[in-house]
Amino acid sequence: MSTPTWRVRQPALTRSGLTLYNMGLPLLLLTLLSLALPDFRQLQNAQNFTGQLATPVLAALGQLFVALVAGIDLSVGSVVSLAGCIIATQPDALSGICLALLMGGLVGLINGCGVAYARVHPLVMTLSTATFLQGLAYLILPIPGGQIAAPLVQLANGNMLGLPYAVLWCAAAVLAVATLLYHSRIGLHLFATGGNPHSAYLNGVSVARMVVLAYVLCSLMAVVAGIYLTARVSAADPTMGASIALESVAAVALGGISLTGGIGSVSGVVLGAVSLGLMANGLNLFGVSPFFQGVLTGLLLLTAVSLQRRRHIGL
Amino acid sequence: MPENSLHKPLQLPSLQHMLRHSGRKLAALPPAYAALMLLLAVAAILRPQLLSPLLLLMILRQSAPLGLAVIGQALVVRCRSLDLSSGGVIAVVSYLLTSGAWNLPLPLALLVCLLVGAAVGALNGWLITRIRASSVIITMAMSMILSGTVIALSQFRAPGPAPELLRTLASTKFWGLPFMALFWLSLMLPLAWFLRHSVWGRVIDAGGANPRAAELSGLPYVRAVFAAHVISGLSSALSSLMLIGFVGMGNVTLGQDLALNSLAAVILGGVSFGNGRGGMLGPAVAACMLAFLFNLLTSLGLGEAGRLMLQGAIIAAAAIVYSLRNEVS
Repeated sequence: MSTPTWRVRQPALTRSGLTLYNMGLPLLLLTLLSLALPDFRQLQNAQNFTGQLATPVLAALGQLFVALVAGIDLSVGSVVSLAGCIIATQPDALSGICLALLMGGLVGLINGCGVAYARVHPLVMTLSTATFLQGLAYLILPIPGGQIAAPLVQLANGNMLGLPYAVLWCAAAVLAVATLLYHSRIGLHLFATGGNPHSAYLNGVSVARMVVLAYVLCSLMAVVAGIYLTARVSAADPTMGASIALESVAAVALGGISLTGGIGSVSGVVLGAVSLGLMANGLNLFGVSPFFQGVLTGLLLLTAVSLQRRRHIGL
Repeated sequence: MPENSLHKPLQLPSLQHMLRHSGRKLAALPPAYAALMLLLAVAAILRPQLLSPLLLLMILRQSAPLGLAVIGQALVVRCRSLDLSSGGVIAVVSYLLTSGAWNLPLPLALLVCLLVGAAVGALNGWLITRIRASSVIITMAMSMILSGTVIALSQFRAPGPAPELLRTLASTKFWGLPFMALFWLSLMLPLAWFLRHSVWGRVIDAGGANPRAAELSGLPYVRAVFAAHVISGLSSALSSLMLIGFVGMGNVTLGQDLALNSLAAVILGGVSFGNGRGGMLGPAVAACMLAFLFNLLTSLGLGEAGRLMLQGAIIAAAAIVYSLRNEVS
């Protein structure tokens, strides 16, 4: 007797997990929006769009590391908020950035050790870390505000001959993550850990250390996303990262990355984040209430996660 | 007559043996009991006025909504699943009851609210058991969808006052005990008995302990998980009715942290993900303990920040301790 399973076409067994749907969705959206909305084709909107896109892309790149080792990190939202609050309350930008990065590393270490050594389920571990960090963010900065150094704001909002710096932030992050994943031993070990942990262990990969590293890298990317977001808005808000956790998971799931580990790619992450961003931008231009964007993200997340087959029921 | 070796004199357990046995049983109790004792001791030192019978009864009344939500959550956690959609259910129930968008007679409106809770639970359950998506992601996304829709809709209608009946029920007392607490107990105790003595309870225990073995043995484990999620949705709806009665007004952000609080109470109450240990009493005590803790924190001046930090620390610490204990044993 076999329990009924959802009939979905299995993607081809490539390491990237990209299918026609993942690549086709952003293209389809791009075409639809360009045809339907004249506002979409303006340069102003394109600059705005890339500026808004950078935060989800950075956060989703972090989530990629964790998804590759079959985990999930729900604390990225709180890390983003906390990083912003740290930046806003430190006297100068450099000390703020260093402190925020240190915090990110520590949070990643705690998450990773809890998941890898204490064998706590990643969802429970990262959920509790997220709650704790949210409280810490409220403690550091009870009301939105704070001072962001002008050079940092310029670095996030300026543009170079019409090309927004946001594109450069994304490009730098994508390049760094791609080099780490595809051209280094750490990347190979990450894929191996996710694909088959026992086999990786038998081959000499330290599985626990790879898992911890994945969580540390995820939190560090979340800190970078928080720094960018705070600089872009030039104020900090303890709840600014609230929707980023589920948004990054949605972007990762839409990009063909398997949440059970071992399959994923940087281009998939970018495509997924672009799809999400295009839908949000389209809704904005159509004049739909911003609260419905949360509903849309939730629906997209449900769809994207439902299309990934699993044998396991529950958590 | 030869001495038969079967006729051994009756060996009564020594006092040492009995002490060691009861000591081991005490140590195996869920942390909620110890934490409650500790909290009462701390309150006795720092804020003795919290220990007055009137305030204790008020805290008991306050813990009733959390206790109801904990019933559903404990059931779901035993199936190795999770339900974080209480926030969304509360938003929908609050909107239905207080915004005046639908003018239904009160009994019908209450019934519709319960049906909505059950429907949300059923949708969660279907997605989790048929589509086999991760329960955390599904229920969090569901909560986001529901509260986002309600917030968007309530831009057109401001929330109004809660129905008279709910407000009255929230403040009545029978024989000195608050009605809400009695209602909670009257739901929890039969369910606890039913879980312990029915086939469905056994199926949940078995399926939670080892899903693969349950599947291979032919137990209707999948249906049990689905039913657990429906019950969890119902209990979220009931606890939202209680919360609305307490607060007196509709509020779309009411009970945002109910989901995480219920998870913390369940983990502290000794129910860990699917090993069948722990009953309903542990989480109920943990719900009271959490309500007492939040009151103590408020009286000590710690606001939202302190509460969140403590919540996160409690869940993480309890989960780590359980995980390590399960590994060692």
